[in-house]
Amino acid sequence: MAILSRERAVQSSAEACENFINTYYKTLNEHKSVASYYVTNNQTYCNAGHPPADICINGLVLATPAEWDAMLAAQRQAPGSSTASSTTTHRPFPVTYEVESWDAHVINPDYRFAAPPALLVPDPSKSDHGAGIRIMTMLTVSGTVHFTNERDGESFKQHFNDVFILVPNWDILARHGKNAVKRYLIASHNYRAF
Amino acid sequence: MAPTGPRNASGNTRATPRASRGGISKRRAPGKTDRDGDVSMDAAAGSGPNGGPAAGRGGARGRGRKDTRGTTRASSRIAENVKNFVGGRDSVATSKALFNKVTLKVSGFQASKAAQNDDGGRRALTDFLERKASKDKKVTIGKSVMDKDYFWISVNKGDVPDFLRLTGFIMAGAPITVEETDEKMPDVSSTTLELKAKLTEVLAKRYNPEQRLLDLSALGTDEILRSMDVFSQGSRAEKAFRALLRIATDQYKTGDEKKEAFQAVSIARNDINDVGQVFQLAIELPRLKRLDLSGNNLDTLAKMSKWRHRFKNLEELHLTGNPVTALSDTVSELLKWFPNLQNLNSQQVRTPEEVAESLKAQQPTPIPQLPSNLRDGDNNVAPAFLQAFFPLFDTDRDRLISEFYDDDSWFSLSAMPGTGRALPWKSYMKYSRNIQQIGSRSASTQQRLFTGGSLIADLWKALPPTRHPGMDQPNQWLIDCHTFPNLADPSGQGFAMGLQIIVQGQYEEADLSANVFGTRTFSRTFILGPSKPNNPPPQHPYRVMSDQLTLHNWTPAAAPASIPTITAAPQQAAIAVPVAPQVVTTLPVQPAVSDDALKAQLIQEVSKRTGMTAEYSELCLSGTANWNFELALKSFEEQKGNLPPTAFIAVA
Repeated sequence: MAILSRERAVQSSAEACENFINTYYKTLNEHKSVASYYVTNNQTYCNAGHPPADICINGLVLATPAEWDAMLAAQRQAPGSSTASSTTTHRPFPVTYEVESWDAHVINPDYRFAAPPALLVPDPSKSDHGAGIRIMTMLTVSGTVHFTNERDGESFKQHFNDVFILVPNWDILARHGKNAVKRYLIASHNYRAF
Repeated sequence: MAPTGPRNASGNTRATPRASRGGISKRRAPGKTDRDGDVSMDAAAGSGPNGGPAAGRGGARGRGRKDTRGTTRASSRIAENVKNFVGGRDSVATSKALFNKVTLKVSGFQASKAAQNDDGGRRALTDFLERKASKDKKVTIGKSVMDKDYFWISVNKGDVPDFLRLTGFIMAGAPITVEETDEKMPDVSSTTLELKAKLTEVLAKRYNPEQRLLDLSALGTDEILRSMDVFSQGSRAEKAFRALLRIATDQYKTGDEKKEAFQAVSIARNDINDVGQVFQLAIELPRLKRLDLSGNNLDTLAKMSKWRHRFKNLEELHLTGNPVTALSDTVSELLKWFPNLQNLNSQQVRTPEEVAESLKAQQPTPIPQLPSNLRDGDNNVAPAFLQAFFPLFDTDRDRLISEFYDDDSWFSLSAMPGTGRALPWKSYMKYSRNIQQIGSRSASTQQRLFTGGSLIADLWKALPPTRHPGMDQPNQWLIDCHTFPNLADPSGQGFAMGLQIIVQGQYEEADLSANVFGTRTFSRTFILGPSKPNNPPPQHPYRVMSDQLTLHNWTPAAAPASIPTITAAPQQAAIAVPVAPQVVTTLPVQPAVSDDALKAQLIQEVSKRTGMTAEYSELCLSGTANWNFELALKSFEEQKGNLPPTAFIAVA
């Protein structure tokens, strides 16, 4: 069993997390769906019997990433739209997440669940084959949520603390290697905003 | 760009703070005033004497001017024009400041056809001079003044020969003469001041200080305005409106002052058929409460749509006499446009409750905050662990290490220093593994990750002493936890379950190096995994695999008062924990609270321990102890002999 050196694992996870943060929060800020970042929607993990991603948002457990998407959409929507108040206009509030701090720990440097055999077997021709890929990482991200009101420019702020457990996205890694985009998936996501 | 620079600078030297940039001249820098002023005069001429505001605008557009400037927003130019007349102040200051400017006077144009224009040919002449003077370079005219004999222009020194050369050129049928002069350019300010005085007189009659009402209705019938030449040309109520509005609001520096002074405006009976003609009102007085538009000629909502996202504070609107009131959807649309609107044409259209609802719709809706969510597999591991963890972290960090950490445990802290906190960050920053700041490839990313109990223990010795609230104070904590699969099983090849615990809260900190005490907001995340079979005692079934501490630079807002407390039934702790044998009976349910709440608890605690009254306990804490519990107790021990009997709670 080829266990990674600590340095190697730390470096890999930091780069993977940086890549994850850049794409995940960009997707959020573009008000697009983030459902595909979660293991729930990954066929390989589903077929291998992995439970759906554990998503807990401000204390509420969500069954699917789609519910998180819906929550984010609701957050961008002014209230009243659902209360049949026809006397107001409802324009979405641009909500943006600004990352100010993050840190990551490798919590399993030899992650094997649902790994394709090719990535499990050391390849003598590539000394680092599989290394820096089969890692499970815990990532903590915190920063500011900006709510902007387009109408008068007034802004409302919150602070958020996100904790993710990331696992390898085998499909992408097998095909595109360790520099691919979205090469890790969210197995667990805890969100709190104040 | 040379001409605009000095003039802008001179504009800034004026006494009136708002200078010429605000209000009417919003869209233009002062430097272009004169030329654009000319443009607009020309536009006015195109509309013909009978045109109302609308006809004027239409006329200006319809002429199919060649000059592109003529097709841009006529209304803005009208504004410039009025400002040119009314403001005038630019000219006074400017001529003094411009050392590299030379004054030229142009004559002979009076015989040209252009002189018949409403502006006396200013614009045509300016265009002509600039066009003809510039052969290889761009030449512009700065300030200009037209009186009955000369057209006075200010030009750059270097451009003088180019202009002087134009003597004898034929402009619109007449030969012109350009000569250099040492004479001072005639001051327009006397005319301007006179004009301003008249407009101020108009305003004085039309402002009702009791109702805070500015009555700009029926400007076309105003005797004073009618007597003024400036407005008789082209009969532009629009111009008068802008000038009046500008003078009226100019004396108020802040939006609050304006809001106070002008709560109501009437622009009734001004033949307005598109609010664009009086759009400036929304710029100058955006927080207006009452607006009278009655007796105008607004026929569709589209003609009002420029104000759609304006006047958020508008409570009362009068549209009587406008054809738009006959349309079926007018009321419902206007209610959408103006969230505060309650009274339309003297009818109540929305109750105060509905206004509140409508205003709420202007606020974003952050995701609701729910209490702690503990899903630790029904074995109470998380509360038991935390119950042990934080008291030990506050009092005996070495022991904490030996209880729960091993050679493969990871710890790191990350800090987001900010300005809003009283506590210094120095003690943390050299260890902060905030990768957002230090970069994923930095050596610090490796170095600031502490692996193994002994390294972690060394680091913790260097961190400031802390005091976390007790786990029996659920409103101080927000804790989420859940189990997850696929950790490596330390005993072999299989998978193991892990427990993730995420804690949000605040702790009291004593930064001894700086002798500062205060409250720190933190998040702390643990991954607990199965213990290794060969770990030394004390052997718990689990160990800390990963411990991440994040220190925030913000203080959480006070939690809403009425969050229900979840009380779990007392349970046998699944694991023996090293501190107090009690089982966690109350689960944390609320976000951390404000400093005040924490202080109240400290007071209560000190009171309990010392027997002092709340008042004296507070004195004790707030003195040199600076809300440090231990210091307060120490100070009590030292001082208790000197305390009066009233300091203690009377024993019944």
